[in-house]
Amino acid sequence: MGNVFVLTEHRQGVLREISLEMLTKAAAVAGKTGGEVVAVLLGSGVDAFAGKVAGYCDRVLYMDDPLFTDYNSEKYQKALAALLKEYKPEIFMIGHTTQGVDLAPALAVELKLPFISDVIDINVVDGKLKPVRQYYQGKVNANFSFKGEPPYLVTFREATLEVGEAVKNGGIEKIPSLLQEDVAYRRFIEYVEAEVGDVDITQSEILVAVGRGVKEDKNMPLIEGLAAVMKADICGSRAAIDAGWLSHDRQVGTSGKTVKPKLYIAIGVSGAFQHLAGMKGAKTIVAINKDPDAPIFSVADYGIVDDLFKVVPKLTEKLKELKS
Amino acid sequence: MNIFVCVKRVPDTSEAIVKVDSSGRGVDSSKFSFDINESDNYAVEEAMLIKEAKGGNVRVVCAGTQDADVMIRMALAKGGNSAIRIDDPRINVIDPLQVAKVLAAAIKGKEFDLVLTGCMANDDGNMAVGVALAEELGVPHAAMVKKVEVETGMVKVYRELEGGLSEVVEMELPAVITIQTGINEPRYAPIRGIREAQKKELAVVKLEDLGLAPEAVGEGASLITLENFYIPKVESKAEILEGEPDQKAVTLAEKLVKGGLL
Amino acid sequence: MNTELLTAELQDFIQKHDLYGCIQCGRCTGGCPVTVRTNLNVRRFVYNSLDQSMRDDLAKLPEIWDCTACNTCAVRCPKGLKPVEVLMGLRNILVVEQGTVQTTVRDALESVFLEGNPWSKPRKTRSDWMEGLDVKIAEPGEKVENLIFVCCTVAYDPRVQVLAKNLADLLNKAGVDYGFIGESEACCASEVHHLGEEDLFLEMVESNTELLNEYVADRIVTISPHCFSSFKNQYPAVKAKVIHYTQLIAELLEAKKLIFNKEYPHKIVFHDPCFLGKQNGIYAEPRTILGHIPGAEVVEFERRRERSLCCEGGGGKMWVESESKKERLAETRARDAGALGASILAVACPFCVLTLDDAIKAKGLEEQLRVAELLEIIGALVD
Repeated sequence: MGNVFVLTEHRQGVLREISLEMLTKAAAVAGKTGGEVVAVLLGSGVDAFAGKVAGYCDRVLYMDDPLFTDYNSEKYQKALAALLKEYKPEIFMIGHTTQGVDLAPALAVELKLPFISDVIDINVVDGKLKPVRQYYQGKVNANFSFKGEPPYLVTFREATLEVGEAVKNGGIEKIPSLLQEDVAYRRFIEYVEAEVGDVDITQSEILVAVGRGVKEDKNMPLIEGLAAVMKADICGSRAAIDAGWLSHDRQVGTSGKTVKPKLYIAIGVSGAFQHLAGMKGAKTIVAINKDPDAPIFSVADYGIVDDLFKVVPKLTEKLKELKS
Repeated sequence: MNIFVCVKRVPDTSEAIVKVDSSGRGVDSSKFSFDINESDNYAVEEAMLIKEAKGGNVRVVCAGTQDADVMIRMALAKGGNSAIRIDDPRINVIDPLQVAKVLAAAIKGKEFDLVLTGCMANDDGNMAVGVALAEELGVPHAAMVKKVEVETGMVKVYRELEGGLSEVVEMELPAVITIQTGINEPRYAPIRGIREAQKKELAVVKLEDLGLAPEAVGEGASLITLENFYIPKVESKAEILEGEPDQKAVTLAEKLVKGGLL
Repeated sequence: MNTELLTAELQDFIQKHDLYGCIQCGRCTGGCPVTVRTNLNVRRFVYNSLDQSMRDDLAKLPEIWDCTACNTCAVRCPKGLKPVEVLMGLRNILVVEQGTVQTTVRDALESVFLEGNPWSKPRKTRSDWMEGLDVKIAEPGEKVENLIFVCCTVAYDPRVQVLAKNLADLLNKAGVDYGFIGESEACCASEVHHLGEEDLFLEMVESNTELLNEYVADRIVTISPHCFSSFKNQYPAVKAKVIHYTQLIAELLEAKKLIFNKEYPHKIVFHDPCFLGKQNGIYAEPRTILGHIPGAEVVEFERRRERSLCCEGGGGKMWVESESKKERLAETRARDAGALGASILAVACPFCVLTLDDAIKAKGLEEQLRVAELLEIIGALVD
């Protein structure tokens, strides 16, 4: 009772950070429910991952099977359904990732599990689990509770908390693979790397936008340096395109493109209404502009009111340092 | 190809001030503008492109009130053949598994090769209905698809993973695909087409018409309970960083990296 | 030109635009302001539209989107034709019949259809600019002398909301009988027509005519010259007389119902908006207003009145970029204003405000020159 199970997510030989984030949260929850933290690992020859997550949990249930070489929702669903039926944890946490959303809802329907997605926190009140999620793109939070018997299922959002210290020492148990056969309906074929070439800024995750404040084309290398460190694509307001610093396919605004990146850094952009209309959907907006009244600050999450030529070089330098 | 595409009417709250209403479990939507959910719009376009390439028909399915008819007609104007709107206030829309069950009831028993829907609704961000729907229908699925290649009896899809990596997956038909934004460029539905689409069938049904018992829906049938909404503590919209330029740059860099934004 | 193969639809097109009346004199292209920066040759478009096979290809050329509908060609045509409308007709072919349209145009049109404005803003927040202000709302069925039509851009864009606020304030101070429409106001659809969605335009004409006729108004007063031009020329069934606010303000000034009692010691150059001037012949009233401003020195562009240099805000240009890399006309205008030594570039149109604002920034002229709509200037001049 009160056991918290966590699905370890990995891909192409890399253990994904969400796994450790969830295990950190699981430890906090299990501390209040009085249960164990158990990491579930499906893979082939991924003993190193078992070793890593063991520092964050009380047990690792490791299914080592060549059929798990690459993620396949059908295989994972079969194995996890059997596992949940056998072990009956209080709650099973899966990352709210491209893998998790492809898997969890089907598992929930198959086993008729109480299921809440994109959870940002799990409170424990009087021994009961109360997940929290958001609506309207983060403008409203919602407290939820589960009905009926466990196991409960959640997908948990990435980067909501810091990974804790690896203070635990979970025993690694290799359990027999619960996958009886290869699958019938869905076949993994291959991974394909992202295309390098002309950029479609409407698909960019991180954008650095330049505006009038950058002043001249010869200042663009400063911006390009920042964008490179951030692995960002560059776009601009009309002023930047007009000035010939960027081609028109990089213009953001009502007569340009509408973008929805995770992160939008507006440098020297005043934020005229027609520009804002093209980027208002950005998840996090940072503005650097020496004009405190620039309308861009009305939509920014973080702002620096200062000369961009003083701020950007240091920003680039510090980012390089932190990311190395 | 028999294609179903599921669409949802959602508010555009990107610039709106969202306030919790007096019940504590809803929001004041009186000043919102509504339209088809963004990724559903891409799904509609993808359905039309497949129909244009392979022949067949596209049926639009929507769980919603009469307000959704405009958006359904717009989808029909783009090339949809007919539509089903499930109008029943008993559906507990907060529960994506229940919504999936209702949509499945509208599709089950009909011939279909593909069911397309957007990968995420912009209002609740659940990313669950499409995949749950596949399980309800007993067919394979793939979520967050950026490219669809229909072959005979099969479909090959490219799922968009973190960092721009694509996962290529092949599935037997029939199958459910949830569509990621940017997969195509949704066409414009000229007014002329929307008015002509009035002639296309838009069947409005209730749960009983779909063979669903009242006990199958409602809050009582859900295994999750929304207890209350609350506005998260937010600092005044822009956190203006303080200090000398160098300091501010460092603070910002730390926020970006430690906050997982980079 | 093979006349035997004319389809009925092409014949309609020819007839509608009186294409046979064109004598190919070239005065249209000769006066077209955008020819200095684009490939647009409207004379050739008029000629080539007579040929069915050419016409569909013409509709695909990017330069048909360079036209700002400034009306210079129509003003200059010795045969009284409107070459600009041929271009709009070609846009219509593209948008409605071929279904191909730029995404920015698509979004603007869908927004007008769903939310009654081209800016993707909620219908329900259209009157939020009024919050906290003393603005009279007109009641349908009740007599009102001046029914004020705000305009989507003025209602939603923070840069120009001040125009509506100042107008209401001035009308209050002058004791004028007026009323705003409020939330039910919807796009005049002038730009819908100019973006080629003629069916949507006609639907908006119908619903707006019905709305406007619900009011017992002597006059409809618009803030934007685009709304003014549309209601005046393209809404045949609207009962009330349609005027632009400059006409109302000029009237009030002449009748001394409105008096400017503060000084405004600036050198002002007035830019004639195309939709006020070239489209509708209103050149005097804005100058009357300027003439009443105490302390102001008013100078004129060489290209003034009928020769005013279009700012490229109209004709759907707020949603469609030109492919040209050459200097924008608004920037040329800003430079000219700077060269005259003016500190204020006065305009009487919200689109001119936006395009010329951008232009001044692009030319780095912010220190010496700024754009001010007449309502921005005069709003501060009355106690």
